[in-house]
Amino acid sequence: MKLWYSFSKELILSSKSWYFYIELGMAIVLLLILLFVVPENFETKGKEYIYLDLPEVVQERYKKNLREEDINEMAELVEVEAGSTIFDAELYETSESKIYLLNSIDALDAFSNTERVPVIHVHVNEDNQIIHTYYLQGYETQKLRNLLMVYHNRLAGHDVVQDYSDNIKVRKLYQEIKPLSDKENIIPVFLTFNGSLMSLFIIAAYIFLDKNEGTIKAYAITASSVWHYLFSKIGVIILTSIATSLIITIPVMGLQPNYPAMFLFIGTSGFFAASLGLLITSYYNDIVEAFGVMYIVIVIMIMPNISYFTPSWDPNWVKIIPSYVMLQSFKEIISVNGNMTYVLIASLGFAAIGLDIFILANYRFKKTLTL
Amino acid sequence: MIKVKNLYHSYSNDDHYAVNDVNFEIKKGEIFGFLGPSGAGKSTTQNILVGLLQLQKGSVEVAGYDVKHIKNKMFNKIGMSFEQSNVYSKMSGLENLEFYRKLFDVETRDPMDLIKLVGLDGKENIKAGKYSKGMKHRLTFARSMINNPEIWFLDEPTTGLDPSIASSIKDIIKEENEKGVTIFLTTHNMYIADELCDRVAFIVDGKIRLIDSPKELKLKYGEKLVVVEYVKEGKLIEDTFSTVVKEEKERLVEVIEKYEIQTMHTKEATLEEIFIKVTGRGLI
Repeated sequence: MKLWYSFSKELILSSKSWYFYIELGMAIVLLLILLFVVPENFETKGKEYIYLDLPEVVQERYKKNLREEDINEMAELVEVEAGSTIFDAELYETSESKIYLLNSIDALDAFSNTERVPVIHVHVNEDNQIIHTYYLQGYETQKLRNLLMVYHNRLAGHDVVQDYSDNIKVRKLYQEIKPLSDKENIIPVFLTFNGSLMSLFIIAAYIFLDKNEGTIKAYAITASSVWHYLFSKIGVIILTSIATSLIITIPVMGLQPNYPAMFLFIGTSGFFAASLGLLITSYYNDIVEAFGVMYIVIVIMIMPNISYFTPSWDPNWVKIIPSYVMLQSFKEIISVNGNMTYVLIASLGFAAIGLDIFILANYRFKKTLTL
Repeated sequence: MIKVKNLYHSYSNDDHYAVNDVNFEIKKGEIFGFLGPSGAGKSTTQNILVGLLQLQKGSVEVAGYDVKHIKNKMFNKIGMSFEQSNVYSKMSGLENLEFYRKLFDVETRDPMDLIKLVGLDGKENIKAGKYSKGMKHRLTFARSMINNPEIWFLDEPTTGLDPSIASSIKDIIKEENEKGVTIFLTTHNMYIADELCDRVAFIVDGKIRLIDSPKELKLKYGEKLVVVEYVKEGKLIEDTFSTVVKEEKERLVEVIEKYEIQTMHTKEATLEEIFIKVTGRGLI
């Protein structure tokens, strides 16, 4: 019962504190970003800016080839802006790129100089050979430059490249999992950082507030245990995390996520993160003193984001950072037919490690109550 | 009710002791004053007694419980009023007391009665964060009584209070003591110690220098003098007489017989003077 009383009190106190509304407000902001700023899928088509400085006949043949590759088999007349100048252009949209045929060399110069994008000047030389002159920006890699040279030089291996690319077979490892859209793919990041990991910082803020008020000492002179005090704080924080996670997830994904698994995982990962926050706060008197350690923790926890958005960079050491497991677990939770075994094992792991850290934090708090 | 034997405590875990071989016992129903300047070891000792600091060396028994292996049940029997008010500022005075009463396993006092007792009635529903310093202090004081403690630890209970409220707080302490509550009073205010305590301990640099009742201390260390103001030939004269020197006693009788006495006081040493005499240190 004392645990329940402490939990109710913490709930009342947190509902009267700024942190609680900052968390809810942040969840709403993230939701609005997802709904109105992030597209369902990011634009991945490359843009090419070309000026055809060719005789009419050759130019028509070039455009005919482009039309054949165009999704609608026709060019679209558009206006494009470079700097503050508007230019007319023809747009050809293939399955891989958007090709803008500019109508003058001035337009090409403008895009190269003011928009800082690579542009292509196609012209004929004295021997009536078609020459592609690339105006690069300097940041292109040597690999890209080599690729362009190979692409325009059949003798050097264009056929080999073509043959190789035509024979690439793509096989999905998890046939039954429907891929997430780009928008949905961002949700695990929000759930990890606004949900689970925020617990670490919010609990630190609550504890330092109590240390500042001295109420933690007053609690210690009661017949209730210190762990009741600490656990009730964790309970409130997990409850807040569940609320903020639902605010973000339901409007975007509806009933698709596995919500029971989500509650379980938020509970266990939040317990782990909050216990870690407790342990850190047990060593310091105020948030200013603890800031250095908090900063290091933030930086470490951010690292798996790189791996999450760049799957080719996935070293083993990143996989042991808790936020990596959180990101992957939330991804499984919101995916259709996600791997729940992974989520359950991760939940058990966080619960077990969280309990160990909690016991240590409880011991530390009992020892350092007069801090 | 409290037994302390060979108590040592070092914050740096070496030989620099904040509390150094402290020994004392407090009987049931006694008001025991723990007096000393800032940094003398008063708070350290008190924090060990209530379990806020871990016992490093020595033995401490409070209300029959060994503080080395502290149990939650012990806190049903003790109450503590902190020098620095520590109440939940976002909760009202009444909500604060209502919450704390639920954390004990024994019969607790009605929060509203306590609110009235410390003169906060009418303000019980105001957030504690909006209370004045004195009001917060009274709320902290009231909270320490919520579980009807058998041993009551009071840390500077009247500091920062205006004289009338300080007086009512002293009255409450006396009333509780008359009910049989044992009181451990930590203070550097010798007047309140003199007024309330059955026995006092002087602590300096972590060591207890002396334990005795204020009355005995005054008899032991005070000078036996009488200060008399009397009118002689139209002038007000102040004179001091020893009550032990024969000639002085005769002269005092003569003054009383011959002149009009305006005031007459025995000049006892104050606890503060005795403290300075015994320890060679002031109280600030």
